[in-house]
Amino acid sequence: MKVMGVGNGAREHIIAKKLAESKYKPKVYWVGELRNPGIVKICKESGGEYEICKTTDSEKVVKHALKWGVDFVFVGPEEPNFYGVPDKCVKNGIPCIGASSKLAKIEMSKAELRRLQWKYDLKGKLLFKTFQTAEEASKYLEKYSETLTWLQNVALKPARQAGGKGVKVVDDRHIYLHDEKDRFKKQHASWLEGYMKSYSGIEDKILIEEKVWGPEYTLQCFTDGKVVKGMPLVQDNKNAHEFDIGTETGGMGSISGPGIILPFITQDEYDESLKIVDSIVKAIQNEVGERYCGIVAGQMMITEIEGPTIIEMYSRLGDPEALNVLSTLKTDLIDICYSIIDGKLSNMNIEFEDCVTVVKAIAPKGYPDFRDLAKNHPIIVDEEKIFNEGCEFYWGSADLRDDGSIITGGSRICEILCKSNRFEEASERIEKCIPYVKLGDGWGVFHRSDIGSSQLLARRMDVAERVRRLYHYRLEKGILGKRFDWLPGFGIVDPVAILKKSLWG
Amino acid sequence: MPGIIGFYPFGEGRENWNACRFLYYGLNALQGRGQESTGLSFFTKDRLLNTVNSNMMVEDFFKEKAESLKEGYIAIGQTSPIKNDGVIHIKEPVELVCVGDGKPNLHSDKIIAFKIFSEKLSQKIYELGDALKATKSIVNEVSGGYSFIALTKNEEMICGRDTHGVKPLEIGAIGFDIGIVASETAALDVMGAEYTGSVNPGEIVVFDPLSIRREICDKSNKKYCSFEYIYLARLDSYLNGISVSKVRENVGRALAREKPVKADVVIGIPETALAFATSYSEESGIPMKIGFIRTGRYTRSAIKPTQLERLTGVQLKLNPVRYSVDNKDVVLIDDSVVRGNTLKSTVLDLKRKGAKRIHVRIGSPALVAPCPYGTEVPPRDELIGGNLSEEEISYVIGADSFSFLPITKLIECIGLKKSELCMKCFGIDWEVE
Repeated sequence: MKVMGVGNGAREHIIAKKLAESKYKPKVYWVGELRNPGIVKICKESGGEYEICKTTDSEKVVKHALKWGVDFVFVGPEEPNFYGVPDKCVKNGIPCIGASSKLAKIEMSKAELRRLQWKYDLKGKLLFKTFQTAEEASKYLEKYSETLTWLQNVALKPARQAGGKGVKVVDDRHIYLHDEKDRFKKQHASWLEGYMKSYSGIEDKILIEEKVWGPEYTLQCFTDGKVVKGMPLVQDNKNAHEFDIGTETGGMGSISGPGIILPFITQDEYDESLKIVDSIVKAIQNEVGERYCGIVAGQMMITEIEGPTIIEMYSRLGDPEALNVLSTLKTDLIDICYSIIDGKLSNMNIEFEDCVTVVKAIAPKGYPDFRDLAKNHPIIVDEEKIFNEGCEFYWGSADLRDDGSIITGGSRICEILCKSNRFEEASERIEKCIPYVKLGDGWGVFHRSDIGSSQLLARRMDVAERVRRLYHYRLEKGILGKRFDWLPGFGIVDPVAILKKSLWG
Repeated sequence: MPGIIGFYPFGEGRENWNACRFLYYGLNALQGRGQESTGLSFFTKDRLLNTVNSNMMVEDFFKEKAESLKEGYIAIGQTSPIKNDGVIHIKEPVELVCVGDGKPNLHSDKIIAFKIFSEKLSQKIYELGDALKATKSIVNEVSGGYSFIALTKNEEMICGRDTHGVKPLEIGAIGFDIGIVASETAALDVMGAEYTGSVNPGEIVVFDPLSIRREICDKSNKKYCSFEYIYLARLDSYLNGISVSKVRENVGRALAREKPVKADVVIGIPETALAFATSYSEESGIPMKIGFIRTGRYTRSAIKPTQLERLTGVQLKLNPVRYSVDNKDVVLIDDSVVRGNTLKSTVLDLKRKGAKRIHVRIGSPALVAPCPYGTEVPPRDELIGGNLSEEEISYVIGADSFSFLPITKLIECIGLKKSELCMKCFGIDWEVE
C-alpha cells in the first residue's frame, strides 16, 4: 500500500507517524513546502519519498500522487483544501481525506460560516457583520453601537481564514476607556483592510463579530458525510505568552483528557457540541451538493448567550490539537481513512486511550507577528533526551537542508507531547525537555510553561462554571440564543431580526 | 506600600496604545495604598524613557501633567504614601526606570533603598547582558519584603517579588494585546484586564516585545504580608489567589465568636471595617447599621503623615448618624489601632450622640512593631497595642470593652499556615523564629 500526505507541520508529522504505524505497513510519500525532518525520516524508513511542492498548487500535488501511484491522499493543513487539492485528487481517481474547496468554505470564509448558521438557524452561532473597507466598518460601529449593544464588545477578524492572524478582541465595556478602545478598533480595521488585500477571491474583507467569553475547546471529528464521529476534546492555548498574555498564535500548546471530555466541559456539552458540528456538516453538504470526506472540527467556546458555540470551523485537524488526539488513537488510522472513503464510518468503532495529554509548542522569537525575525535560524535538538523523559517530539516549521542542518521556517519549531494520568506531571516532564531544543546562533525561543499547570486549569474551570451558570439560566428561562436591546421611544430591538433583515431583506 | 502598575502591549500595532490612559484608571484604583505622591514613566515610539513625578494625588497628577502624558505605549507607575517618592530613573550604565512596593534591605529609607536596588539592577543588566538572569541574581542577593516593576531602554519590562513574596504582585491580560502587572487585582479589573495569575515569591517575569520569560529564585518560600489582607488591600482584590473579601468576612465572624457581647447595633468604621461589621452582624445576629457618613473625597486617614492630618481626615470622614447609636449599646468595629487617638475621638463622638455602651472590636491583632518593609507604622513606643493591655486601652479610649483579633484567629481567617505569613508588625518575627 502507498499513501501520500500533504503539509509539513507538527500535525502532519504525527499524521505521517500514525499512517506509517498502520498494520498495512504502507510506503509513506509526502509533499510539503519545507522538508520536515520528522516526516522525511518516516518516508525514508517506510520506503516512500518526500518532495518539496507548493501545497496549494493542486496540479503539482496531484502530479506527485499520480507519479507515485498512491492509494489515497491525506491533506494536513487547510490551505490545500481551500485551493482544491482534494477536488483534484478525486477527479484523478485518487481518494482523498480532505474537504473539497466548496465544503472547506466553512473554514475559509468566517462570514460564509456565519451566514450558513443563520440561514439554517443552527445552534451555537454569533451575531456578525461584514465590511469591505475599514472606513465602512468604523462608520457602522460609530453609528450603531448605541443602538446595538453587541457592537460595543466585538471581535475584529479577517473575513477569510488567514493562518490565525489578525484577530483582535476588543472588550469595550468600560465607558471611560471607550475612546482608547474605539481608536484601536478603527486602527485594527484599517490594518485588516490592508492585510486582506493579499487575499483575492473573497468578497468580505473585515468581519465584526459579537464578542463572547468562556472556556474554549476544540472538537475534532472524522466524517464520511453521513456520520460525524467525535474525538476527545482538546483545549488549545492561543495567546503567545505566559499568563494568557499576548498575540494570537496558531496555538502554543494544548491539553486533552481524561476520557473524551475535559475537566471543565461536561458530557452534555460534548454531546451538544457534536450535534452542532454535525449540523454544520449537513448544512454545507446540502448547500454545495458534495460529500464531506475527511476531518471537520469545531473550535468552540461555552458562551453565556448560546451555550456551546462555534468560534471557527476547521476543515482539518487542529495544530497542536492533532497531537493530543492522534497520539492516543488506538484504532488503525488507515482503517479509519478507508471507512471514510467508502462511506462506512458508521460501522467503525474508533477507540482512544484513556489518559491525559499535554502538548507544548516551542517557537522562535518573532513568532507570530514578526516572522522575518523568526526565520532562518539553525536548530539543535536532542531527540533522544526528550524520548528518555518519556515525551514525544514532533517537528514543526523546520527545514532539513541538504547539508543536514535544520533551519527555522518562522512558525513553531516543534511540539513536545507527553501522556500521563495527571496534567501537572505531563507538563513538568515536558518542561524538562525544553532545554533540549535550541537555536545554534543564539537566537531565542519561547514556549508556555503554564500549559497543563494546575493554576491554569483551575482558572479555566472557574470561568467555565461562571459561564455555565449564565447559559443554564437562559436555558431554563427559554431565552438561550436570544438578544435584547432597548431603544428609548422605539422599544425592544432584536439584533437577530436586524441581522436577518440585512442578510436576506 | 505604594500601589504599582506596569502596562505592556504586544504584537503588530502595539505602538498605537496610549498606556498613560490605562495607568490613570489603574493608579486611581490603587490609591488606597498611598496618596502623597504619584509617579509615572513611559516608553515612546522614538524609544525614549520619560519620567514624571509629583507630590499629588493621582487625579490631580493627571490633570496637571496632562500635556506630558499623551504618548507612550509602555508605562509603569506608582501611587505612594510617601512624599517625594516616585519613579526612580537611572541613566547609566543601562537606562531604566523602576517603581517599588515594600522595601529591599538596602537602606532604612524606602526611596533610597529602591534607588540602590535600581542602580544594582542597571549595573547587573549591563554586566550580564540578560535582564532575566541579572534580575534573578539581584533578587537572590537582596533580602527584604518588596515587589517591583522596572522598564529598560531596551524595551524590557521586568517585574518580580522578593524571595518571600511579602508584597503582592498580580498579572492580567487584555485580549490578544496587553499584559498588565499590578499590586492588586482590583486595578486589573478597573483597567478592563482579566486576572491571569500571580507572580510567585522570588519569581522574575521579563516582558520583551517578542516574549515573556519567567524564572524563580533558588530559595523562595512564601511569607505573605498579613496586613495586606486585613487592611492595606482593597476588598475587591485577590492577592496570591486569596480573596481579600473572604478573609475580612472570616475576621468579622471570628470577632463575633471570640468575645461575644450583648448589644443593640453593630457599627463599622468606614471603609475597611465595614466588611468586618457585616459578617460580625451576620454571625452575632445583632443588626448592623450605617454609623457614619463621609464628607469630601475618599482619603485614607490612617496613612496620612501627620497627626493633624489623620484626625482631620477621620473627623471629616466620620460624621456619626445619631439615630443609629442614640440610646443603644454599640459594637464598634475598626480595622486597626495605631496610637488610639482617632479611635478615642470616634468613641467620644458616638457617646455624645447618645450611645449607651460602646464595645470596640478591632479586625486585626495588636500592632506592636514597625514594619521593616515600608508599611507606615510608627515606632514601637508609639503603638498603643504594644504598650497597654486591652483593658487599659478601653479606659484610654473611653470604651466599655475593647479587644483585638487574636493572632491565631488571623491565621485561620487568611487560611494559610503560620509559616506562610509575615506578621512582624504583630510581633512574630519569622527571621528570629
